[in-house]
Amino acid sequence: MLQGTVPFNNQILISLSMSPYFFYFFAAVLIFASLSVVLAKNPLYNVLSLVVAIFSLSCLFVILEAFFVGMVLLLVYAGAVLIFFLFVVMCLNLNTVTLTSSQQSRFHWLGTFVGLMFVSSFYFAAKSFIKAQTMEATSIRGTIETIGKILFTDYLLPFELTSLLLLIAIFGIVSLAQGALSTGKNTENP
Amino acid sequence: MITLGNYLALSGLIFSIGLVGVMTSRNVLKVLLSLELLLAASNLSFVAFSKFNGDYAGQLIVFFVILVAAAEVAIGLAIVVLMYRRLSTIQADDLRAMKW
Repeated sequence: MLQGTVPFNNQILISLSMSPYFFYFFAAVLIFASLSVVLAKNPLYNVLSLVVAIFSLSCLFVILEAFFVGMVLLLVYAGAVLIFFLFVVMCLNLNTVTLTSSQQSRFHWLGTFVGLMFVSSFYFAAKSFIKAQTMEATSIRGTIETIGKILFTDYLLPFELTSLLLLIAIFGIVSLAQGALSTGKNTENP
Repeated sequence: MITLGNYLALSGLIFSIGLVGVMTSRNVLKVLLSLELLLAASNLSFVAFSKFNGDYAGQLIVFFVILVAAAEVAIGLAIVVLMYRRLSTIQADDLRAMKW
């Protein structure tokens, strides 16, 4: 089992990626959590089940040996974005009447129909995609070192442009909040 | 043996669930959460293609998608809070100002 040239950690990770049970377990958790995101009535449960879905997605990324992306997904999504969602849900202080009344839209059945069509089309596409079934997993590992090297050499311009995008997003939020503050003052002291 | 087809089928299933959520829910917060599901499904297929093709570009695209999604959520939630302050509702059907 233990070969002299392969470190112990490496052995564990390779056996993890080989085992199909981990994939099926985390895939089932992901499917049930995302169903709960769509179907649960309470928005608090929606947000918390999205946290579970993101966590199992991150575990799938680790099985695919994309460690850096899985870590960033956990930090940014479960750590920042979903806490922001929770903060907004609690800040709005919605009562149950406004939430549960007429939850579904008029295009409820149309949306379900389109979703079922998508499921069937994905099924047929996955069946006909023979090459996907025979493709072997390569040995690339998205560690911080490899991803960082590519990110700061080949993809430097998109990386810097992303920082510009985040700056623009901050400007947008500040201007939105300023508008809200000024209108709030107007309604208080007309 | 887990092949690329398994990951693509899972990704398609999650995408469909998110699409149904976007199209059927009137709650704006729920629409934003379902959009996150759509992004997560596409991220999964990107990482799976990256692993099975031996190319790191897919994982880098996922990194950029995560950053853009963070910006999108920040703006979207700010708009939701403003909408709740002005209209005191977060149902999408109550936004009728631009309806013809």
